[in-house]
Amino acid sequence: MTKRQMEWVALAFFAALVMLVFQQIATSMVEQGIASGGAYDNAASYPRAIAIFLGGLIGIQAILLFMKSRSLDAPVRTEGRGRAIALLLVFGGYLMGLNWLGYHLSTAPMALTVMLICGARPGLRLVLVALGMAFGLAFIFEKILSVVLPGGTFGLNIPW
Amino acid sequence: MFATLASGFEMFLTPLAVGLTFMGILIGMLVGALPGLGPLMGIVLLLPFAIGMPPLAGMGFLIAIFVGGSCGGSVSAILLRIPGTPLAAATLLDGYPMAKKGRAADAIGIALAASALGGIAGGVVLIMASPTLARFASSFGPPEYTMLAITGLFTISLISEGTLVKGLMACAFGLLLSTVGTDEFSTGFRFTFDNPNLMNGFHIVAVVVGLFAVSEMAFQVMGSDLLSSPTIQKVQPGLGSFVRVLRHWPNLLRSSGIGVFFGSLPGAGGDISSFSAYGVAKAFSGSHENYGTGEEGGVVATEAANNATVGGALVPTLALGIPGDASSAMLLGAMLILGFVPGPLMFVQEPGFVGGIFLVYMLSNVFLLVAGIIAAPLFIRVLSIPKAYLIPAILILCCIGTFALQASVFDLLVMFAFGLVGMLFRLTGYPLSPVVLGLILGPILESNLRRSLLISREGYWIFLDRPVASALVVLNVLILTGLLVSSLRRMKKARGGKRALNP
Repeated sequence: MTKRQMEWVALAFFAALVMLVFQQIATSMVEQGIASGGAYDNAASYPRAIAIFLGGLIGIQAILLFMKSRSLDAPVRTEGRGRAIALLLVFGGYLMGLNWLGYHLSTAPMALTVMLICGARPGLRLVLVALGMAFGLAFIFEKILSVVLPGGTFGLNIPW
Repeated sequence: MFATLASGFEMFLTPLAVGLTFMGILIGMLVGALPGLGPLMGIVLLLPFAIGMPPLAGMGFLIAIFVGGSCGGSVSAILLRIPGTPLAAATLLDGYPMAKKGRAADAIGIALAASALGGIAGGVVLIMASPTLARFASSFGPPEYTMLAITGLFTISLISEGTLVKGLMACAFGLLLSTVGTDEFSTGFRFTFDNPNLMNGFHIVAVVVGLFAVSEMAFQVMGSDLLSSPTIQKVQPGLGSFVRVLRHWPNLLRSSGIGVFFGSLPGAGGDISSFSAYGVAKAFSGSHENYGTGEEGGVVATEAANNATVGGALVPTLALGIPGDASSAMLLGAMLILGFVPGPLMFVQEPGFVGGIFLVYMLSNVFLLVAGIIAAPLFIRVLSIPKAYLIPAILILCCIGTFALQASVFDLLVMFAFGLVGMLFRLTGYPLSPVVLGLILGPILESNLRRSLLISREGYWIFLDRPVASALVVLNVLILTGLLVSSLRRMKKARGGKRALNP
């Protein structure tokens, strides 16, 4: 993917946001009766004004993108991209499974996998580091700060 | 002023508040020293911990992280030639050559002492200027606050890295995010999609941790030095550095003044102030001084300036409720979560809390010198921990911290989603700080704008009817016009340069 294409992706993200604002004003806010009236009742005027402002900026940025030099056609940085994607997949999966597996079952494997993604050599030392990290931080938050971490379906919480 | 300070003593003089301030300095220095983190990340990661504490102890902890983090970057700048934070980028100009000459301990000691003294100078200005500014602002009404919020948003968008348009787009994104949830006037639901988790909008900590910390970790993992552990010389700075810094007192005072000035301007952070102070110190230097080759004065100038910036940044944050940069925006967010609304009213209704903040800030700077000198070898050791171990630890901290806010897994998913948005922004050069400012200033802007229109009989003309508001309107127009002209000129120049290269 080139830098220019990446810039277009960012612009598409902002454009989708603007469209979402107008879609919500036209549907949900109209249904609730908060899309018209004076400053007190009209909850849509402020987000609408910002969306219009953002829409204008998207237009300017699009023009600038068309005008910009060929340097934007260079590919975006690729080294280490696989590691970043793997990290996000592992971390995203961990967050999705947190409610089900609970903190104590899932955190040390996540930490271990992230260290392996970073290129650490597998071994007992790495496992101990991962366990120390997960349970050390859990001890600080659960014991000292009385935070109840997700126990998952097994209801695993350590009575420190 | 003295009454405010005196009333702060009672809240401040507790073992918890003093202990957490000391701990905040240590943590701040650690996150400052580690390249890629910094004071903002430290505040973001430990905000959930702080808001579970008594108000002043929690704020003392966060302010100390801000102070310690602003100085911690100098350690890696001096020893490794890698500034831990952009704030310390100017410090390496003379700090690293000093280390190469075998004077690393002196350079670190001078950086610590100059930071502490610069910070104290910033504190004196904070204590004197913020009550005066708050008194002046007590006559402000919704129109003035609307315009002040716009000034804050404009300057941060325009001064942050990236182009003018991208800064403004990031700011508008933050403003839109702040509208999610229940509207305080009509009590209608906006952008909630019938999801009860969104009734109060996105939790600011989940958004900021995702934008800054998660995306930063994903970027760090792309680097090639994940397992490297740099060899660093062992140094132990001494208290003698304090005397060395005092020998440079004109430079120290001048640089602290520059730091306070830039700190109090919305958008201009410690990096701008430290480079400016370095430039001024160089211009004022004597013929025997050779800046850039290991001059003590260079380290004094940059470190005094970047820590004085913290005091300056707290002036508008406390007195007006308008933060100067992303770190002070997070402090403002923390105060709001703790139930204190920064602004002129806070000085009248909560003098003890305000006085406590002043004292905590001053004590942080004293602790900076003491803790810095005692714990410098520890920070140096931390620099040799490979990133492969730090990345998962920070990710776990992000998770526990965000979850602890409301015991909500939904917040964790919000954090992750904003981590992806942060990645997109970083890859395409959109600055992240304006998003935070937009998110925090958004509700202030909207409620004051709507209140202004409610009390106005002539619609938007109310902003021109009142002298302070109209002056701010003119200021905002001038800022925007000036920066538009300068960016157009820059574009023209860049194109001219390219044509000259490829005729």
